[in-house]
Amino acid sequence: MIFTTQMSQLFAVVLERDKERVTKTLLREGVMQFLTTSELEAQGPDKAVSDKPDASREEVTDLRKRVEGLLHTVGTIADPPNESDLSQPAAIDIRKETRELDQLDSEREGIRERQRLLQQEILKYEDIQRQVRVSNINLSNVTLPTTQSLLSTHLGKLPATHVKQLESGLKGLTVLNIPVGQDEDTSQHLLIFMARDKQKVKKILSSVHWMEMDLPDKLPSAEKEVTEELSVKLKKLKDEQEALQKKVTRIVKDREKSLVELWRNLRVLELCKKIEGHFNTSSRTIIFAGWLPSTKVSKLDEKISEACEGRCYLEWHNAEENKEIIGSDIPIQFKNPDVLAPFQMLVSNFGVPQYGTIDPTLFVMPLYLAMFGLMFADAGQGLVLALLGAWGFFRFKERKDKAGLARLFCLIIWCGIASILFGILFGSYFGFSYNPIWFDFHGIVLGHSSGNAVITDVYDILMITIFFGIAVISLGLVFNWINMIRTKNWADLIFDKGGLLGGWIYGGGIYIAYYMATHNYNGFPSTALLWLLAGIPAVLLFIKAPYYHMKHRHGSSKNENPVFLVLNFCMEWVVELLEIFAGYLSNTLSFMRVAGLGIAHVSLMVAFFSMAEMTSGIFSVLILIFGNLLVIALEGLSAGIQALRLNYYEFFTKFFNGTGKLHTPISLNSKL
Amino acid sequence: MADALSKYALINAKLRGRISKILPDETFRQLTHASSLDATLAQLRGTPFAGLEDIYSRTGDLKMAEMELLRGEIDLYRELIKYLHPDSVPLVEALLYQFEIDNLKNAIRIYFDRNIRGRSVEGSIHYVLHERIVHDLPIDILCNAQSFDEISGVCEKTPYRDIIRQFDHTVESEGSLFRLEAALDHFYYENLLSCIHHLDRKDRDTAMRLTGVEIDLQNISWIIRFKNYYDLPLERILPIIIPGGFMLPGPMIEELYNAKDVSSVLKGFVHDKHPELSTLLTGSSPDIAGRLALIRRILEEIKKAEIQRMLSGYPFTVGIILAYFLLKREELNKIRTLLNAKLYGCKPERIEGLA
Repeated sequence: MIFTTQMSQLFAVVLERDKERVTKTLLREGVMQFLTTSELEAQGPDKAVSDKPDASREEVTDLRKRVEGLLHTVGTIADPPNESDLSQPAAIDIRKETRELDQLDSEREGIRERQRLLQQEILKYEDIQRQVRVSNINLSNVTLPTTQSLLSTHLGKLPATHVKQLESGLKGLTVLNIPVGQDEDTSQHLLIFMARDKQKVKKILSSVHWMEMDLPDKLPSAEKEVTEELSVKLKKLKDEQEALQKKVTRIVKDREKSLVELWRNLRVLELCKKIEGHFNTSSRTIIFAGWLPSTKVSKLDEKISEACEGRCYLEWHNAEENKEIIGSDIPIQFKNPDVLAPFQMLVSNFGVPQYGTIDPTLFVMPLYLAMFGLMFADAGQGLVLALLGAWGFFRFKERKDKAGLARLFCLIIWCGIASILFGILFGSYFGFSYNPIWFDFHGIVLGHSSGNAVITDVYDILMITIFFGIAVISLGLVFNWINMIRTKNWADLIFDKGGLLGGWIYGGGIYIAYYMATHNYNGFPSTALLWLLAGIPAVLLFIKAPYYHMKHRHGSSKNENPVFLVLNFCMEWVVELLEIFAGYLSNTLSFMRVAGLGIAHVSLMVAFFSMAEMTSGIFSVLILIFGNLLVIALEGLSAGIQALRLNYYEFFTKFFNGTGKLHTPISLNSKL
Repeated sequence: MADALSKYALINAKLRGRISKILPDETFRQLTHASSLDATLAQLRGTPFAGLEDIYSRTGDLKMAEMELLRGEIDLYRELIKYLHPDSVPLVEALLYQFEIDNLKNAIRIYFDRNIRGRSVEGSIHYVLHERIVHDLPIDILCNAQSFDEISGVCEKTPYRDIIRQFDHTVESEGSLFRLEAALDHFYYENLLSCIHHLDRKDRDTAMRLTGVEIDLQNISWIIRFKNYYDLPLERILPIIIPGGFMLPGPMIEELYNAKDVSSVLKGFVHDKHPELSTLLTGSSPDIAGRLALIRRILEEIKKAEIQRMLSGYPFTVGIILAYFLLKREELNKIRTLLNAKLYGCKPERIEGLA
């Protein structure tokens, strides 16, 4: 768990005729992260040619995306393909499927166009409807220069035989045509349209022998009829639109099953082609290479051999075994139990550890929780947090798209548990102080007895956090030394800020500070001891700049001025010393925030208790409930962030560079 | 006068939160590769633009969805006014004028097409906003007007009346709305600059930088349009240039218009103020359209750099408000471009070039 999974590299040569079976095996096992062609070429002298993706690979991807897009429109997200899709792949005729999708799209586009035309009609009638309303309601704050309405209203009659001709003529225009009476030979109509269409309408009316009639002063029934007619027309159009909308969805829904099946087959094909894209081919052989966890080596070896019926050459290398293939490019796979998943999330948010270096997840768990617990020590409030976390975790744990949220709630459960433990140690229950096991935090903040002979005031609490900080920073330094040794980075092991000399100075600084504190800040250790603790490592550090200069210079030292060079070394040395002294001092003191937030937490609760004491009965209870809720929300968030900050900036920066990359094999579950 | 912290602390925190929700480039890249307009809209589910899919699937009309985007953009300004310190409100109100002026221009264009050109306006008349933006403009009457007198009459209580009266004769004499539209744009920028001049010194400087680049971009757009479509001489272009440009004052525009080597003219200020953009100057074009397009591109980059400068600099200035509006406008423009490109079946590579 301290280190990531051990990785192995496979270098394989198989025959061209076994290509398909090997590809399927690699996809089925889903453990290989392939080396790119350029990485592979960089490793070997062979002249193999990259198996360039053929045009059909892009076609497959495009088609898969197209099907996916169609399924998305009806809210369907297909599950990734499974082994049976791989074992019995359906033959896909790309051309035929493309044609069918084209047909489906054209059907949908046809309906969309009809929807759009209907929308135009709706907008036209809404235009008239708005004008009908406006003509009854005066426009506010607007002075109309003309009394002319935007609507044109005509009452008239025409031969009954021409009614159909009138209706078809008006079809393309926005005209409200209301029949208002009929006798044997003629039909009376009220026409309302936008005045801008007057000329066009007049032309149609003259062709149907329209006879204008005078509009009566009042047309009592007209207003109601107009409104009703408009509503009916609009409703009809909107119903039609809705029906079309459903039709568009139905086109896809009706074919959903076959589209999902097609998507899965295309996905399998796409993944196979993606794997084949990493193959290098010679005349009759295929070469590929990649990384996989060492634990999977024997199974993959067996499966590939089986697929090739023994006609293959497989060469395996442990990542550590061959220095030439080891480097920062080796992917890593975390090796932590599920219980550490929330803390692994915190680590990977910062970065991925480089292969061979320490994965700090296991240590982040106790450190983060201890920091959180010290800052938010209350058993009652911790219980609320844990319950909240449990609610969220069970709500989201089954949802794949909310996996991150589920992990976050799991972290909240852990934080709640830490608060409960520290709350019991300090005897804090929803702000009430009761029977502390370690010391009474409330008592110290209020200036009462803490019930502990060693920790008697807030300064003692601050000291606890400083010691805690020293322990965390020291742990970070030790991890850094281990990383340097494992990566055989000897120079940095000695000269790095977090190297042996840096650690020596830090240790010496701690002793000097301790000596001064225990001597009432009135004296220093002896000169010899000072020299030993800080002087020697400081002088040794002077070697760093010249050493790196010598190591990295590439024969262009002729123009270097030796005086400037020495001055430069001196400057670098002084800056490095200042950085080490000031950096470690601030890093250590930074941990005092843990005590600070703990004290603030208690103080806030004390304040709410004082406010509650000023009232009585239900108000007092309400104040305490509100106070607890506020503290849980604000202090909980604050403690969570500060604990994360301390881990990231005071602990991780000592040893963790986060420049590694995760192992991402091509498998049936690969992300799109 | 209130101090910067009390004026901008709340709005700064609020807007930074909102800026973080602006769709990232990666999302746009994925949207660009969506297989169809429907698929693009489906991918916008779970984003602030989810409502567009609903509108499009109900109406089949992308313009309706675009109208909704525009309404959303206007609401953004209105909503933000609620959180602003009173000193900053006039500036945001001045920015709101751009939407009203654009809407007014659309209504006048409909009148122009219908009455003067005798063209059908059915394709455009329903896509004008009828809601009040800054003033009560009876858009229906404007679209259905019979004369410019009627238009200026209904605009009586707005600042647009005088502008319309001053330029309506040019519409008929030149057969073009350009002078009227340019005058409306001039009014917008004059009003905006006047609001900026009432800000305190730090805010004024910040706002001038961004507005100045916006003015430069507007000027360059006009020049490109004039050169490409009308091939007008420089003397006729200079009067419509909006004063207040940040990078391109009048004399420099004159120089750029005539210069064969744009790079040498621009070199000075690009090297001084934005050395990171120097590489853009290596591109050169023999024709004037290419040269102007290059200037436009440089100005766009300068605008982006200015926005970044504001976001990473001192946080308590009016810059955060302007930066937010510009970023949001850019996002909305990208969405509009993307959806229209998908409607017309453009290839992803072409869309990437457009965005």
